[in-house]
Amino acid sequence: MTDTTSSPLVSFRGLDVVFAGEHGTSPVTALENVSLDIEAGQFVSLIGPSGCGKSTLLRVAADLICPSAGHVQVAGRPPAEARLRREIGFVFQDSALLEWRRILANVALPLELQGVAQAERLAKARALLEMVGIAGFENSWPRQLSGGMRQRASIARAMSTSPRVMLMDEPFGALDQITRDRLNLELSQIAEREAMTVVFVTHSIQEAIFLSDKVVVMTPRPGRITHVIDVDLPHPRGLEVRETDRFIELCRLGERLLSEGFHDNRR
Amino acid sequence: MTIAGKRARFDRSRLGELLAAGLPCAITTLILLVVWEVAVEITGVPAYFIPAPSRIWTAFISGNASLGYHTAITAFEAVAGFVIGSAFGALLGIIFAYSRLVARSLMPYVIASNTIPVVAIAPIIMLWFGSGITAKVAVTAFLSFFPLALNMMKGLQSYDRTVMEVFHVAAATPAQRFFKMRLPSALPYVFVGLKLNVTFSVIGAIVAEFIQSDRGLGFVIMTAYRTLNMPRLWAAMLASALLGIFLFVLVAAIERWLIPWHSSMRETP
Repeated sequence: MTDTTSSPLVSFRGLDVVFAGEHGTSPVTALENVSLDIEAGQFVSLIGPSGCGKSTLLRVAADLICPSAGHVQVAGRPPAEARLRREIGFVFQDSALLEWRRILANVALPLELQGVAQAERLAKARALLEMVGIAGFENSWPRQLSGGMRQRASIARAMSTSPRVMLMDEPFGALDQITRDRLNLELSQIAEREAMTVVFVTHSIQEAIFLSDKVVVMTPRPGRITHVIDVDLPHPRGLEVRETDRFIELCRLGERLLSEGFHDNRR
Repeated sequence: MTIAGKRARFDRSRLGELLAAGLPCAITTLILLVVWEVAVEITGVPAYFIPAPSRIWTAFISGNASLGYHTAITAFEAVAGFVIGSAFGALLGIIFAYSRLVARSLMPYVIASNTIPVVAIAPIIMLWFGSGITAKVAVTAFLSFFPLALNMMKGLQSYDRTVMEVFHVAAATPAQRFFKMRLPSALPYVFVGLKLNVTFSVIGAIVAEFIQSDRGLGFVIMTAYRTLNMPRLWAAMLASALLGIFLFVLVAAIERWLIPWHSSMRETP
């Protein structure tokens, strides 16, 4: 919490990720020479077409993938150490709730794994359910909830250990537009209130611009960063910000940079 | 409108559900019994060939009052063998799920053990364990470990990969991964194995008694056959079927209680 602003909370330096080819196919370079700094309290989105390595970048930070070369630091430590110190929260596209646990026990799971006493972890989980707007569903089974509500629970679970870095891999990708808008708005409010540091992967430019302080544009084969858009829209943002000229301008810019990268790639 | 009103409607729907589940089988049974009884009456088939249901029932309830005793013996052997066999099967399944090497080296033997006719292996087991109840339990255990071993292995391997990653990011220990993730997600498979085991266990106990015994349903079937007391043989068959169904329903009830979250629990079988 008391990090000096000079050192970034998440940093990638000269990162390469190469996946070994399966059954004689040639190795695939998922990321090539990627460098990126994310400051504490920043909301950063990674955007780009499929295969640009945006999810891979996120997974490297969460110690789910080992990089082939380069340096990665999360909260001042290598990802494996940051993970063991519970500095990382991860939200997947699939809510990945445990079907055999009720919602409250699902949200309390990371605290339970950490060894936090039952009364304390359940109180925390209740508060989080309230924060993400599904108080009253403590005793529901996951399969009784809609996709949007499941994803809310999944976000609450990732927040339970109060991680310093929140990594979100297309968390709203499978939701309908109305639910998605609603969750975007609430996530933006929560992130601002809690001063969360978020790295957010998405396919949607509008979503990225709406949520972020910084949008990182990536291109595939090999995956690399081509542009970084600074989003200078004022906070707090309501959904009506999407009708402002600046928002539309930023979206156009994002679209252009994305398609540029795409054409580059087709040469 | 009130809570009481809701409650009554809920109960009525539960009762209706139960009726809907049991009624088809009850009607089928009734029709079968009537046709059987009438057919035996009309054709005059001798009782040793096919006894009428009424005669089987008479033998079942009178049965020198001993049928209950023999059923209890068989039930004990079946349950003891089921518990031991299932424990062994579960352990084997866990080891197989965690070690590909062990699974590859032992799987052919496990499959072979399941394909050996029980009438061939039972005398050998009886030779090792003597002629008492222990031997019957051993034969039963031998016959009822395989389905759980296989289903436990499959269940432990069929966890959700993303859920595993949730555990990874949350820095879970291997023991936490097993007890809080892989085992709970394997439970639906485990119960498929247990339900198979429990039906095999009744067969195992009776076959073991068949080979050498002085009590139990296998013994009753054997002696009834030798003395051509066919209604008693049929009554013993009925007892073994009822025992099997009872044990199966018991395991199914434990399943319902233990995994109420599972989607297969939503509709009544």
